[in-house]
Amino acid sequence: MPVHKVGPRLYHSIPFKHLVKHSGSAHGGRSSNISLNLVPFVDMMTMLVCFLLMVFSASGELLQAQRGLELPIAESKNILQQAPVIIVTNTEITYQGQLIMQVDAALRDDTVGFKIDALFERLDAEAKKIKETVNLGQLKDKKLAQACENAKQNIRPKPGEVCPDGLAILQADEGTDARLINKIVNTAKAAGFDNLMFAVKNK
Amino acid sequence: MGAAVGTDEKGSVNVELNIIPFIDLMSCLTAFLLAAAVWVNIAQINIQPKGKTRDTSNVQKDDETVTLSVLVQADRIWIGLSRVNEFQEIQKAQDDSHWAKFEEALKVHKASAFFSDRHDIEIAAESTTAAPVKYNDVIKAMDVAIKVEFSDVGLSDPAGLSARPSL
Repeated sequence: MPVHKVGPRLYHSIPFKHLVKHSGSAHGGRSSNISLNLVPFVDMMTMLVCFLLMVFSASGELLQAQRGLELPIAESKNILQQAPVIIVTNTEITYQGQLIMQVDAALRDDTVGFKIDALFERLDAEAKKIKETVNLGQLKDKKLAQACENAKQNIRPKPGEVCPDGLAILQADEGTDARLINKIVNTAKAAGFDNLMFAVKNK
Repeated sequence: MGAAVGTDEKGSVNVELNIIPFIDLMSCLTAFLLAAAVWVNIAQINIQPKGKTRDTSNVQKDDETVTLSVLVQADRIWIGLSRVNEFQEIQKAQDDSHWAKFEEALKVHKASAFFSDRHDIEIAAESTTAAPVKYNDVIKAMDVAIKVEFSDVGLSDPAGLSARPSL
């Protein structure tokens, strides 16, 4: 590569001289202001903001992204609601973010009753706490309180308004062995969680 | 935000708006919404644990009632009717065409006199170390059942199904 004399290089290799001539610059002897047409930019920003506001959803906060967790895909459109979350990745089982045990160990364990004891203890404690809250009428959400009243009368709840007593979310990897799912469902049922929501991705 | 009226000529009615604060606001809002956006749309399938072996309160006490049971295995799906002891076998295919057959079979049952006004169904997965069944297959079976309006899905142990094929 040849060595050139030092000095300004702007506009030598890039053919932008016509812009400078029309818009004005120090070289042109006129004003150095270049007027940009901001209208398309503002239009684009407005449309982007409108789109993002429309698709904004708060349901994502209920679930945690975790490594080794790919949710199964389903056509179901029922929305999730706040509940204790059991997560099963391809390596470990966690409850509310705390490690319960490894998946391999859970599958090897063939104890009587097909329960996962470590998970049962946590779920049992949580179920009692929720039951007490519901029985004392301390639910902050009036719709959920009404759902609990309706549940006593065997009235079917609306999607997203299920009584939190006995309600839990299972967020499991799509490749999880069904034996493990059975064990977790058994454990949840034994602890008093007899209404499970299986988290899925929408198609 | 400043606005200057008639800046060009005397008597001009052109208004120059300072849109920089507007652009700033829009940029901040866009950045926030992009950061807070949930890109994965999460839904749920609601189930109740059921089965003869575990929760006797959930089992139909009326022996006259026919229950629709589905057993998902590694290589096939069984659809059975309790009391009637009628079973239908659907072999799993590589191209997932068995789910369409499964849906058709459930539709036929839904249209029958037993289930036209009912929404309950039992689903179980029989998984072994040699022939594992994936959670994805269980979800797919539940999803198809809900699609065919069997919305009251009960997940059961294979041994707890009301109608279990004798293999």
